[in-house]
Amino acid sequence: MTYSMRRVTKWSSDPGLATRMLLVMGLLALVYLGFIAVLVSSGVDTVAVLVIAVLMAGVQYLFSDTIALASVGAKVVEPRQEPELHAMVERLAALADVPKPKVAVVDTPVPNAFAAGRSPRAAVVAVTTGLLRTLEPREVEAVLAHEIAHVRNRDVMVMTIASFFAVVAQLVVRWLTWGGSWSSGRGRRGGSGLVVIYLASLVVWLISFFLIRALSRYREFAADRGAALLTGSPSLLMSALLKISGVMQRIPDRDLREVSELNAFFILPAIKGSSFFELFSTHPSLERRLERLRALAREMEGV
Amino acid sequence: MRRLLEILLGRSQPPPARSEGLIALSNAVVTMEAQLGFRPGEEAALVFRLVDSPYFDRTSQELDELAALTAKEAGTGYRSEVDRYRYRWIILKDPDFEDVLTAIHMLAQTIQEQGFSEQLLAAVFRFTSPQGEAFYWVYQYKRGRFSPFAPRGDQQRDHALELRLANALRRELPVEDELERWFPLWGIPF
Repeated sequence: MTYSMRRVTKWSSDPGLATRMLLVMGLLALVYLGFIAVLVSSGVDTVAVLVIAVLMAGVQYLFSDTIALASVGAKVVEPRQEPELHAMVERLAALADVPKPKVAVVDTPVPNAFAAGRSPRAAVVAVTTGLLRTLEPREVEAVLAHEIAHVRNRDVMVMTIASFFAVVAQLVVRWLTWGGSWSSGRGRRGGSGLVVIYLASLVVWLISFFLIRALSRYREFAADRGAALLTGSPSLLMSALLKISGVMQRIPDRDLREVSELNAFFILPAIKGSSFFELFSTHPSLERRLERLRALAREMEGV
Repeated sequence: MRRLLEILLGRSQPPPARSEGLIALSNAVVTMEAQLGFRPGEEAALVFRLVDSPYFDRTSQELDELAALTAKEAGTGYRSEVDRYRYRWIILKDPDFEDVLTAIHMLAQTIQEQGFSEQLLAAVFRFTSPQGEAFYWVYQYKRGRFSPFAPRGDQQRDHALELRLANALRRELPVEDELERWFPLWGIPF
């Protein structure tokens, strides 16, 4: 028979994407190690800096679902209020082997969706009322599958860890910019040591910014692929993305800005830049996401 | 370690099915009937997700042929429907519970052999309580465990009954112990 098992399992993996992800993570680790080395060798109280950063990142990590829900005004809905949504999420969760996430709805005309929560057990998936109005149920399901793929891949945890030292670097830069007195008051080191730390932090912040954005884009690709395989249909996600982006361009600006802070969580970012600025973006461009999905669809069709 | 790598790389495939737990139901059904008075229904179903692929279409076709063949040889009734969430239900009907169970297992095996193990959602078995109410054992393929489901009207479940039976059958059946994974399946067509 021509339809062997190999044919099918091949759909699941994307070695190119995995390689790039590992590469980016490796680079991040290198940058961070270098940063720690500089901090330690220049005699900064590294432990104190790390403790503060761990506290900050920890709070954000532990309460990521609450923070995300509160900042966009999402309300958790019970099965009785949204039976359709819950039924879709339940089945997708059973297929993906994750506990059922909480389901939330945001009352805004902007069609979008996001996932949050530190672990699959504390996860929440949220959709906007605009999304429910714009898309057909099966397209809504494709979007939910994308969010469940994020949950399954533990993207909140991965991104929190990946950006940890970037946060530290950012902290150091801010402290040194605002009050050099913080450190020089102790009189332990001269100005030159501070300059080294400042520059190192600045460089780490800058490099890790781009690396983290790249990682975020790769994880979007992975979630797209996961959603396509979970629903068994890349084309449903493609039509959902097309519809969402089509509506996004017609929605008044005010709404876009209202939700822009949460861009990293959303299935599509609310503010659209040109493809030149993709380097700065948390999400790959629509064209590239569609291209990937088309390639997967062709593979599944065997053409 | 493997799980760590999967998280790091954001693996996208749904997990494969585990079918080994299903067969425990053939013993449990005796306890269900003789001890607890829950009669097994004549119908049971295999539920799986559709895939947009000619490879999957061929697998589907093969399933149909297999089910039709079983129908001819063992006299097992067979029908199939696609629900509103795009899952396909193959519903088998036979007065002999053992035959239904074997047929379900065989169909699931075929799907797995064709490499579509990820698509298997559940196998559903109906029972009737002494009071004449419906009760289902839902075998979740991704977990390899059974969860109880007693739907009562619109979005309501008889949790007391579910807990009771889960507890009573725990020794014989691999029952899902995480309550938040007792997924309902609304609109079971039998």
